[in-house]
Amino acid sequence: MVKHTEDHSHLDLLFQEARETSVEPSSDLLARVLDDGLAHMPVAEVAVAPVSRAPAWRRFLSALGGWPAAAGLVTAAVTGVSIGYAAPGPVGNVTSGFGLEIGTGYDVVDLIPSMDGFYAEVEG
Amino acid sequence: MALDQMNEMSDETLLDLYGQGDPAAARALTLRLTPRVLGYAARLLTDRAEAEDVTQEAMLRLWKMAPDWRSGEAKVSTWLYRVVTNLCTDRLRRTRGVDIDAVPEPEDDQPAADERLQQATRMAALDKALATLPDRQREAVVLRHIEGLSNPEIAEILDISVEAVESLTARGKRALAAALSDQREELEYSNG
Repeated sequence: MVKHTEDHSHLDLLFQEARETSVEPSSDLLARVLDDGLAHMPVAEVAVAPVSRAPAWRRFLSALGGWPAAAGLVTAAVTGVSIGYAAPGPVGNVTSGFGLEIGTGYDVVDLIPSMDGFYAEVEG
Repeated sequence: MALDQMNEMSDETLLDLYGQGDPAAARALTLRLTPRVLGYAARLLTDRAEAEDVTQEAMLRLWKMAPDWRSGEAKVSTWLYRVVTNLCTDRLRRTRGVDIDAVPEPEDDQPAADERLQQATRMAALDKALATLPDRQREAVVLRHIEGLSNPEIAEILDISVEAVESLTARGKRALAAALSDQREELEYSNG
C-alpha cells in the first residue's frame, strides 16, 4: 500500500512537470494555421459609401430639401391657387391698395397677333 | 482591436469575433490554441510531425465551424479536444499501435543544463509509458492529469460517463506507474 502511494506521488510529480512543460509550435505551423484561419474567415460587413439607387422622384425630393421642404412648397402652391380661384375680388382690393390697377392693363388676348394686323402687314 | 486586449477575452468571444471577420481574432486564437492542441496531440501520438498535421487539421475544422458556433452551448476547448482525440484515434487505428522506439529520445546535441536534460529524459520516459496504454486510457489520463480538465469535461470529450472516466484514469495511472517502475531510479528528481 505504501508502495502504491509512493509510485503515484512520483507519477504526480511527472504529471506536474508535464503540465509545466509547454510544447512550442514551430513558426511554420503557426503560419500555416493562421493562413488557414484567414483563408476561411467570413467576410466582414464593411460599411460602403451608399450608392444612390433611389428613384428620380426621391432624388428630386432630396434636392428640394426633403419632405418638410416639399410640404412647405405644396402648401404655398395650394394656397396660391385657392386664393386666385376663390377670392380674386379681395386680392384686387389689396393690389389696388398698392396702386396697381388690375383689369385695366393688357389682357393675354391683347398679346396674340390678330388677322387685321397680319393683313395690314401684307398690304403695307 | 489590439492583440493584448484580446488576451483577456474568452475563446468563445474570440471565435465570435472571428466569425464576424476580425483577423486579429484569428491571430489571437492561433497563438492561444495551437500550443494546447499540439501539446495534447503530441502526447497521444508521440510523433511530432503527425501531431502537427493533426493540429492544423483540428484548427482548420475550428475555422470552418466558426460561423455556425452558438455561444453558450459548449466550450471551444472541449470541442477542440474532442476533435483532436478523434483525429488521433483515427491515425492510431490506421497505423495500429505506436512504435515505442519511435518516441524521440531527449536531444543532447546542444549543451544544456543538467536539470534540463534530466527533465527532457523524464518527459520522454513519460511519453513512452503513455504510449503503452490503450487509447482510451491514454486519452483520459492525459486530459485529466496533464491537460488538467475535470472529469465531467473529459466525459463530454470522450462521450462516456463520468464513472467511466474515473475508472479509465485510475487504471491508466496504475498502468503508468507499473510501466515506469523499472526506470524509477533513473527518473528520480535530483532535488526531491
